[in-house]
Amino acid sequence: MAARRERVRLDLTTPTLLGLPVAWLVVFFIVPIAIVAAYSFDVYSLFPGTHGFTLAAWREFVHSPVYLALFWKSVKMSLTVSAIIVVLAYPLAYYLALSGTKRKYVLLLVLIAPFLTSYLLRVLAWKVILGDQGVINTFLFWTGVRSPGHPISQLLYSRFAVMLVLGYIWLPFVALPIFVSLESLDRRLLEAASDLGASRLQAFRRVTLPLSLPGIMAAFLFVFIPTLGEFVTPSLVGGANGYMYGNQIVDLFGTGFPDWETGSVLAIFLFGIVTVLTVVFTRFLQPRRVAAD
Amino acid sequence: MPEEKDVLERRFSREDLLKLAAVTGGAGLFAGQSGLARAASVHLAKETGRLQVLDWAGYGNDGGQSMFAQYVKTHPKNKPQFTYMGNEADALAKIHAGLKADLFRPYVGWVKYFATSGLVQPWDTKLISNFKNLNPFMVKAGQYQGKQYGIPDDWGFDAILYRSDKVKPKAKSWGLLFDERYKGKIAWFDDIEMLEIAGLYLGFKDTWNQTDDQLKQSQKLLISKKHLVRKNWSSETDLWQLFGSGDVWIAYAWPNDWVQMKKKGLKVVYMHPKEKPIAWVGMFMLLKGTPRPNLAHAYVDAWSSAKSARWLEDNYGYGHANTVARPSSSDLLRALQLTNPRAVTLPNAYLDRDIPRRALYAKMWEQVKAS
Repeated sequence: MAARRERVRLDLTTPTLLGLPVAWLVVFFIVPIAIVAAYSFDVYSLFPGTHGFTLAAWREFVHSPVYLALFWKSVKMSLTVSAIIVVLAYPLAYYLALSGTKRKYVLLLVLIAPFLTSYLLRVLAWKVILGDQGVINTFLFWTGVRSPGHPISQLLYSRFAVMLVLGYIWLPFVALPIFVSLESLDRRLLEAASDLGASRLQAFRRVTLPLSLPGIMAAFLFVFIPTLGEFVTPSLVGGANGYMYGNQIVDLFGTGFPDWETGSVLAIFLFGIVTVLTVVFTRFLQPRRVAAD
Repeated sequence: MPEEKDVLERRFSREDLLKLAAVTGGAGLFAGQSGLARAASVHLAKETGRLQVLDWAGYGNDGGQSMFAQYVKTHPKNKPQFTYMGNEADALAKIHAGLKADLFRPYVGWVKYFATSGLVQPWDTKLISNFKNLNPFMVKAGQYQGKQYGIPDDWGFDAILYRSDKVKPKAKSWGLLFDERYKGKIAWFDDIEMLEIAGLYLGFKDTWNQTDDQLKQSQKLLISKKHLVRKNWSSETDLWQLFGSGDVWIAYAWPNDWVQMKKKGLKVVYMHPKEKPIAWVGMFMLLKGTPRPNLAHAYVDAWSSAKSARWLEDNYGYGHANTVARPSSSDLLRALQLTNPRAVTLPNAYLDRDIPRRALYAKMWEQVKAS
């Protein structure tokens, strides 16, 4: 019997479709991260000369009292902002998703309308509101709560200003994932709950809230991760006090004297923490199946 | 310059000679002796392409056109093309990363660093007709080992600006920036200069070359006084906004900042502290390996003219190294002490200078901000 060469038909559809995005990710994401990591180990350096792999910059990062403390400060600020705006966004998203209003999508559009304007302009607007002669302080002078010449100075160029502005910027973003998860809630579950005698509050606590937990987690991560590395808002409204981890990274690369090695260490550290957090929290993002007993 | 020698040894065709005659004749009409020599060099060496200038924001086609207008007129085929440098560290990083610039403009404290870095080459001052009018102290500051690496251009002081209606300083001293009575009303400069100022305040002999122990003391002072600071400013418009809106009453500032705040009707004083202010001078430097050295000289010559100098003083409020120029504002004239050619040196001020351990200073300042 003559051997027949069988033509094996490979299904190349999936690899081909995935190929381009994966290649894109590798070239424009993985490779640059690897290059930055190389700078942190002094394998690459901005200055010519002999350089070799060294952990010196990493050791300094860990042992210095300054960098990890700054990171912790940024973590605290981001956690506070994220927690507060998730709590604030939830009722907003709840109303949009579950109140049955006919203007649901119009209101959603109104919610995200600020994104259609310039980020920088929105942040700068806060300077006008929060300054010593700004809207709030002028109002307080006018009502007599504070005497003119004694404004509340901590409103602007402070940690408070940074957290306020970050919260304001991210609130619409945060409402969206919660809205989505509430939207996809099976209403029959709520009906079933009330049939079984649950009050509205009980139904909310035992049914709605747990089922919207993936949305809440996603929303939290959505705001926590970017604000952790934030540097634009702190540089505009943070003053000396609202300085964050991201600012230090920018400054190490761009001012004083270029210190790409230390800057890369800080950047890779942030990236590592964020990756770990994302992996850990993704477990919570799996949709929970409701078992019917 | 080596290229010139090679070019002159070439055999000339009739066409070449005619072209050369036309160009030098034309240039001679406008620019005088050195213009002739320069135009001839440029043409012979066939320096082509646009002049690549690495400069600070505001000095390119984004507002600084008057500074080099004369150059554009005489070299229309080689108009400057600008890349921004956010600061000297940014310029250094860009150059190392491969940016092919012809000239750039660091400040006097970096002259020695760049002169010894192998990245720059000295200027030929004979090709700069306005060189003779430049302030001799500033010119000296641009020299290293007898060669002219930096051509001085803009300059000013670092001193203290304060609201005389809100602030009663205890002494004419840098200490006003560390005064506990004015918590939240103080602005520092976002730069390692704060370490230099701390060193001056603490009385160190050479604040640009502090010992490890002295640096730690300076850093400790800054960290301990950081809670008084509203903001570390980095661009003048930031400072004008802070000061103008009354958010800040005391600031590290340059002479023009006093002029601008006075224009806003504020009661302000520009105080030269007893430990002495620091004077800064911008220095044009010529990058090694540039294919357009003669064009670069022509550009710097345009910048160094009395006309450009006067424009700079009137519009940007900085002094200019050209001693012939005088601004229209008498306030600025006073603030810059322009009638005193020794203004930038002792006993009036410390001229900013090389910091041998700049990388360490930078790291320590970053740590002040991070803590």
